[in-house]
Amino acid sequence: MAEQLSAAQRSKVRRLSQPRDVVEGEDAGELNIIPFLDIIVNVMMFVLATVAVTFTATIDSTPPSLGGRGVRAMAQSNALNLAVFVVNEGFSLKASGGNIATGCASPGPGLAVPKTGNDYDYAGLTECAKKLKEASADFKDETQVTITANPGIDYQTLIRAIDALRRSREGEDLFPDVHFGVPR
Amino acid sequence: MTQQQTIPKKKGASIVHYKAELRRAIRKNAALPEVNFLNITAMLDMMTIILVFLLKGMATSSASIPQSKDMTLPTSIITSEPAQEGTAVVISKTQILVGDDTHPVVMLPSRDSLAQSGIDARYKRNGPNDLYIVPLANALQAARQTDKQIRQAKGLDPNTSEAIVIADTTTPYRLLIEVLFTLGQSEYAKYHLMVLSGGKKP
Repeated sequence: MAEQLSAAQRSKVRRLSQPRDVVEGEDAGELNIIPFLDIIVNVMMFVLATVAVTFTATIDSTPPSLGGRGVRAMAQSNALNLAVFVVNEGFSLKASGGNIATGCASPGPGLAVPKTGNDYDYAGLTECAKKLKEASADFKDETQVTITANPGIDYQTLIRAIDALRRSREGEDLFPDVHFGVPR
Repeated sequence: MTQQQTIPKKKGASIVHYKAELRRAIRKNAALPEVNFLNITAMLDMMTIILVFLLKGMATSSASIPQSKDMTLPTSIITSEPAQEGTAVVISKTQILVGDDTHPVVMLPSRDSLAQSGIDARYKRNGPNDLYIVPLANALQAARQTDKQIRQAKGLDPNTSEAIVIADTTTPYRLLIEVLFTLGQSEYAKYHLMVLSGGKKP
């Protein structure tokens, strides 16, 4: 038969088995940085709420040369040598075979990609560049394009034209290496 | 423990049994610690690190380029990492700045005037049709000397430098070409056009 504790023993067991409260002095050895951290959190919330984080990128190129031709790497004689002219009425494209006619189907007079209404047809420019690149197997590895624009064309239009020539809607690289030409 | 030593000696259980009961009671109470506060110190430590990282990243990256009415970057679909090497040339709506110098190299006339013949002929080397901007070239050559020494110290090719062109969306092509041409004439063989990434495919 198990031994029974006396009342005094039970009382003693209860008292001694209670978890001891942490004495305040025990924490005094550490620096209390919680108020500081509270301030930091508030500052961080403020920064995140007020600063509009913008991500930037850069388009690499080389200085332009006079005469509408940029500094180009040595191109083969049967290269496409695509040049795009941004004019007020749309995009004019020229290649080794001459001026590209409207519709990008063949050489001929006219603007290759005219404006649609008052807006430039960037999707049309992408399609035209793709069509020209796929016209011959020799053009498959060609990545350079020279862009020239009318003096009044704004920088945003130029960047959009570069984007349109950079890759197709399917994500294939078209002409990512851009050079700038100087209009005569 | 001094308290444990003062064991009641009166009738009751043996000392061995009493101590066993005491140990069991202590274990039972210790097994259920009372959580009366939430310890968020670890989370706050983490947030502090994130804050420092964000502030440092924003201070050193090109994201710190101020966007204002005078200077708005164009958007592009390109998402590559921006180039960090090079002398910064800022073309805003009203002025051109070079490097960290806050004094404008050239004050720009109206956009219509710029679109016609670029910068004023008095800033050009050979009249209004010339592309070479003399004050800009002077500032670039001074920056080029510094950059040349930096490139030598870094073991890079000191024969040419690189430039980061930060231009406003409305900058006319004529002005852009004048600046790029002047860069080329000042031994800057490569430049990076700064854009805001994340635009949609036109």
